Amino acid sequence: MNNSSYRKRNKTNSVLLRILDILVILIWLFPLVWLFLTSIKLEQDVVTKHFSFWPEHPTWYNYTKAFTSTYILNWLYNSLFVSACTMVLTIIVDAPIAYAFAKIRFKGKNVLFWMVMAGMMVPFQVLIVPLYLQFNSYGLINTLTAAVLPRVAFPIGIFIMKQFFQDIPDALEEAAFIDGASRWTVFRHVILPLGKASITTVIILSFINAWNDFLWPLIVINDNIKYTITVGVANFQGTQGTQYSLIMAGAAIASLPQIIFFLIFRKQIIEGIAMSGIKG
Amino acid sequence: MIPGNKDTRDGILFSLPFLIVFILFMVYPLLFGLYISFFKWNILSTPVFTGLQNYQDMFHDQKFYSSLLHTLEFVVITTPVLLVLGFAMALVVTGKSPLAPLLETVFFIPYIFSMTVVATLWAWLMQKDFGIFNQVIMLLGGRKVGWLTDEKYAMWSVCLATFWWTAGFNMVLFTAGIKQIPKEVYESAEMDGASYWQSMTHITIPLVAPTTVLCLILQVIASFNVFGQVYVMTGGGPAGSTRVLIQYIYETGFQYFRMGYSAAMSYVLFAIMLAVSIIQYVVLGKNKEV
Repeated sequence: MNNSSYRKRNKTNSVLLRILDILVILIWLFPLVWLFLTSIKLEQDVVTKHFSFWPEHPTWYNYTKAFTSTYILNWLYNSLFVSACTMVLTIIVDAPIAYAFAKIRFKGKNVLFWMVMAGMMVPFQVLIVPLYLQFNSYGLINTLTAAVLPRVAFPIGIFIMKQFFQDIPDALEEAAFIDGASRWTVFRHVILPLGKASITTVIILSFINAWNDFLWPLIVINDNIKYTITVGVANFQGTQGTQYSLIMAGAAIASLPQIIFFLIFRKQIIEGIAMSGIKG
Repeated sequence: MIPGNKDTRDGILFSLPFLIVFILFMVYPLLFGLYISFFKWNILSTPVFTGLQNYQDMFHDQKFYSSLLHTLEFVVITTPVLLVLGFAMALVVTGKSPLAPLLETVFFIPYIFSMTVVATLWAWLMQKDFGIFNQVIMLLGGRKVGWLTDEKYAMWSVCLATFWWTAGFNMVLFTAGIKQIPKEVYESAEMDGASYWQSMTHITIPLVAPTTVLCLILQVIASFNVFGQVYVMTGGGPAGSTRVLIQYIYETGFQYFRMGYSAAMSYVLFAIMLAVSIIQYVVLGKNKEV
């Protein structure tokens, strides 16, 4: 084969591959496009034999209706509250022990560490019945507090922070100790600032986990107005009949915070998954 | 010079907040769940000790068997597909295409949506009369498919939605694995005249093996825990043909209030998952040494 025909074939190949790439992109995004298109159609144009792809009368009607006839704003607020509390408590509870595992030599450390790692093996679903009974006896059923508390102990988060804290040079700590700093000061002013990257990762992962949680809030919260967004959207069909355009508008509203969150933290989210995956 | 003599005190103090939460909401419920699995209890009455009765009941419970079977079915279908799909996506994303960064974002995007949104969306796409899948099939002259209403297809439909939703997660893991392979390995293979296919089977696949093992273990655990998609898309139907074990545990506990029986089934599921994880660990661990 001479050089120019080889090059030509290579070029057609790469054009074909690019077309394939674009096709794959369109197919993969299609469900989301369809979600949006459905949400701006009138229900009578959705539930019809006269199928049309583009909305004939684009409208925000379903969005207004979702806000006025459902508790969707409450659900969003509840999810935000639950996720923010989970996130803050996760760091308060998990960062100190990650520091202890990384830097402090104390008796029983290894046993403790393996106990925490064994906690990763326990699927949350195994705990739902006893947890429900436990929260029932505390009188916390149907409260957002109950949705937060069992999610705060996050072994993977401890692992991520521990790996990161370990790499902070001992010399920095020692210098602070010589200056008379206490453990707490060192943790607060040396470890936390230098470990910021791993803490950000854990914050993001715990926020996403809490936001997406479904089974536990489904069980522990009974009032429509107290639902988190995941449970609210799942029950949309039940409360609103089957109005597909309205359901899709609800799904779009429910996803907006996540989309914004993703646009801001894209890099950290992907790195966080890769990190917890590779090291976990 | 370092507060060495206070290390034990500090270690305990810094561990304490976590330990309290861990014991209260992980260790205690784990033991409490095991305890109540030996009781007959509907929350309102006083618990009655029945020994192993709950565990024996499972052997005669058709619904338990069928739910367990559906969970296993879901694990067996989704695990290999999601591994291959995630790997294929990672290959594309780490390849030479100028669109690679865009493709990476596009593949990952479904994963940022919550399960309930994905499930409601796919339930709409697959709706029998007005869903777009059937609309297109009808336009092409085909017949309506009962994606979620036909026992033959319902589980596959739920799996399909799951592929779209979570393949991007595995892609991220595989991409990280592939990026760790030194470029020189590929360059020298190329100089020796290796084709794309050869360098994939002889370099990429063997060198990402640790990532594959990790993905496999994570995926099997995640698939065993399936509940939400099924609950939202089919509600376990038609005729219970997609009811998975966690759904049955949920219904037993929170609709029929048979707390002891529900807890007992949770433990059986836990034991199965633990056994599968250990087997994977032993088998795959051995392979790695060879």
